[in-house]
Amino acid sequence: MTQAVAAEMLAVQVRDLTRTFGARKALDKVSFDLPTGSFLSIFGPNGAGKTTLVKVLTTLTPPSDGSAKVCGLDVVEESVDLRERIGLISHNPLLYPDLSAEENLSFFADMYGIDDAANRVRELLVAVELDHRRLDLVRTFSRGMLQRLSIARALLHAPEVLFLDEPYSGLDPHAVEIFDSLIAQIRADHTFVMISHDLAKGLELCTHALILARGKVVLSAPKEEIDEAEFAATYRATVGTGVA
Amino acid sequence: MRQLKVALVMLLIGGVLTTVAFVMAFTTAEMQRFGTVTVDEPLDTAFPLMEVSERGYTYERPWFSQKIFYFHVPVAEASFLVFGVAAFYSIRFLMRRRKEFDTKARLAMETAIVFVTLTMITGILWTRAAWGVWWEWEPRLTTYFIMTLMMIGYFVLRNSIEDEERRATYAAAFGIIAFINAPISFFITRLIPSSHPVVFQSGFATSNLIPFIIAQIGMLMVGYAIYAIRASEVRLEERVDVLKDALEG
Amino acid sequence: MTVADTPTPPAPARQTGASLSWRQFKAILRKDIVMELRTKEMVTSMGIYALLTMVIYQVALSQAGTAFDPRDIAAGLLWLAFVFTSMLGLNRSLVHEKDQGCLEALLLSPVDRPIIFFAKAAGNVVFLLIVQALTIPVFAFLFLQRADQYGGDLWMIPLALAGGAIGIAGVGTLLATMSVNTKGKDFVLAVLFVPLMYPLLLAAVSATSAAVLGGDGYVQQFWSSMALVAAYDAIMLVAAFALYEFVIGA
Repeated sequence: MTQAVAAEMLAVQVRDLTRTFGARKALDKVSFDLPTGSFLSIFGPNGAGKTTLVKVLTTLTPPSDGSAKVCGLDVVEESVDLRERIGLISHNPLLYPDLSAEENLSFFADMYGIDDAANRVRELLVAVELDHRRLDLVRTFSRGMLQRLSIARALLHAPEVLFLDEPYSGLDPHAVEIFDSLIAQIRADHTFVMISHDLAKGLELCTHALILARGKVVLSAPKEEIDEAEFAATYRATVGTGVA
Repeated sequence: MRQLKVALVMLLIGGVLTTVAFVMAFTTAEMQRFGTVTVDEPLDTAFPLMEVSERGYTYERPWFSQKIFYFHVPVAEASFLVFGVAAFYSIRFLMRRRKEFDTKARLAMETAIVFVTLTMITGILWTRAAWGVWWEWEPRLTTYFIMTLMMIGYFVLRNSIEDEERRATYAAAFGIIAFINAPISFFITRLIPSSHPVVFQSGFATSNLIPFIIAQIGMLMVGYAIYAIRASEVRLEERVDVLKDALEG
Repeated sequence: MTVADTPTPPAPARQTGASLSWRQFKAILRKDIVMELRTKEMVTSMGIYALLTMVIYQVALSQAGTAFDPRDIAAGLLWLAFVFTSMLGLNRSLVHEKDQGCLEALLLSPVDRPIIFFAKAAGNVVFLLIVQALTIPVFAFLFLQRADQYGGDLWMIPLALAGGAIGIAGVGTLLATMSVNTKGKDFVLAVLFVPLMYPLLLAAVSATSAAVLGGDGYVQQFWSSMALVAAYDAIMLVAAFALYEFVIGA
C-alpha cells in the first residue's frame, strides 16, 4: 500500500470508492492499493461495508462514485473481461446440490468457455482429492468436501485474483486444516482478498490488512507495520459501531 | 416547505375548480338525451313533453347518468397520467440508481392508486345507472380493475423486500412492466370477441366541454397536491432518519 | 497429486464471442433439464397440482346439469389449471439457483445477463409444455368424453398452448427472479403474475376455445387471437429481457 509500487503491479486499485443509497453510505471514499501477489484481509463489524466492497470489486454491484480496478481492469467499463480473471470462494459453496461434482465443474467450465473442459475438470478434481467422488451428487458431500470442490470451481478458469468471503465459517477444524493447506499450495500464484471475522486467522494469512467501519477505512497497512495488540484494540473499537 | 405551501394552494384551487365543474355539469352543460319514450298516459314528470299523438305521449329521455363523465373521465385520464409519471421515474431510477427517483415513483404510484380507485367507483356507478348492473366486464372497467391489482401488487412487492436498493430496483422494474401491460390489457379486452355489449360512444357539445376541462384541471391539481404533500412528509421522515443515524454514530 | 503440481496458472484456452454465448445458453438449459430429470421436483409437483385442480373442477361443475356441455368452458378451465401450475414451477426454477448462492457464481462468470434470462425462460417453456402435454389428455379423459366431437383442427391446440407458454415463461422468469428474493415468495409471485398475465390469458383462452369448439368463423377467431398472443409475447419478452439485467443484479 505504498505509492512506490507501479500501477501495473497492482492487483487491486481502489480510489475514493463510494457506494450510497439515499442517505446511507455503504462505502464512503474507500481508497487502497494492493500489489499483485499479496493477501489482503478485510475486517470489520457486520454492516461495515465489507461485502459491498467485495461485490463492487467482483463487478456484482456498480459503484456510485470513485473507481476501482482489478487486474488493471475497471469494474464498470471492463466488467466482462474482469470476471474472467477473478474467482470467488464463499462460505456458501455456490454449487448445485443436484448435480454431481463433475457436472458442477463442467457447467462452470462451459460458463467460462474453457476449451478441453473435460481434462481441466478432471485435473482439478484430482487436485482437490475428490476424483473418487466425481460422479456423486454434491448433495451428499460433507461441508469440508463442498469447500474443496468450491475451490476447484473457483480455480477452473485460472483466475489471478481470488476473493474469499468468510471461507472458514461452518468448517470443522479438520476441514480448516485441509482448506489451509490447499490455500497454501496456490498462495504463490494468486492475489487474495479475504473477508474475515476471525482476527487471528485473518492476520496470520495476510500480507495487508484493512479495517472497515461504517463504510470508511479505519486502518489500512501492510502486515509488517501492524502491531497485533494495537490492531486488535482498533478492531474491537469498531465493532460497537456496526450496523447503522 | 415551499413545496408544501404550493401543494396546499393547489389542493384548494383544485377543490374549488372541481366543485365549479360539478355545479356547471348540472346547470350550464347541455343535457345529453337518449332519445324519446312514448307512453299511453300522461306522466307527472319534469321531463319535457315532446309530442302528443294517437300513439301516446312522447317524452324526452334525459341521460342523467351521463353527468358522471365530467368526473369519471378526468379522473381516469389523471390516473393514467400519474401512472405514467410513476413509470417515468421508475425508468429514471433504473438509469441513475438515485433514491429520490424511487421515492418519486412510489409517491406517484400512491397517487395513481387513489385516482384509479376513484375511476373504478365512478365507473361502477355508471355501469349501474346505464346497464342496470354494478359490474360489467367492459374493456375500460376491466383494464382499471387490472391496473388496481397491479398497483396493489406494486406495494405488496415493496413491502416484502428488506433491502432498500433491491426493493427500489424490483419496484421500478415491476412499475415499468405494469405500465406497458395496462394498454395491452385494454386493447386485448376490446379485440377479443365476447358476448358482452360493446362500449358506448359519448359525444361532446361545447357547453359540456367547459366543465369537463375545468374538472380535468381541478383533478390534476388535486393529484399534484396529494403527491407533493406526501413528498414533503417523506422528506421530513428521511431527515429524521439521517439525524437518528448521526446520533447513533 | 496436489494443486501445486497441477499447472494452475497456464490459463486454459477460452472461447469467446457468439459461440461462447451459445455454449453458455445450452449449459444453463441443459443443467436445468438434467436437474429436473434427476429430482422431478417441478414436473411432479406441477402435475399433481393439475390433477387436484381437475378434482376441484368436478366439484365446481357438479351442479351444472346434463344439458351443460363442458366443451364450452374447456379452454378456460385448462388455462386456469396452467396458470396455477406454472406459478408453482416458476418459483421452483429460481429457488434452486438461490438456495446455495449459485446465482452469485453464475453472475460472476463472464456471461451476458440476457443469456441467463433466455436460458431460464427456455427451460420454463419446456417444463410448461411438458405439464400441458400431460394435463390435456387427463382433462379430455375426465371431462370431454360425452362431448360429441372435437370442433376445430387438432394442430391448433399445441400452437395456442405454445404461444401461451412463451408469454408465461417470459414474464414469469422475470417475476420469479424478483419474488424468490422476497418474504412470502409464492404469494408475491401470484400478486404480480396474475394481473400481468390477464391479457395473454384472455387471448389464449379465445384461441384455444376456437380450436376446441370450431363452429362458424373459428379459423378467423383462432388466428386473430393468436395474433394478439404473439403481440403480447413479443412486447412482454422485449420488456422482460430489457428489465432482467437490472433485476438479476440487484
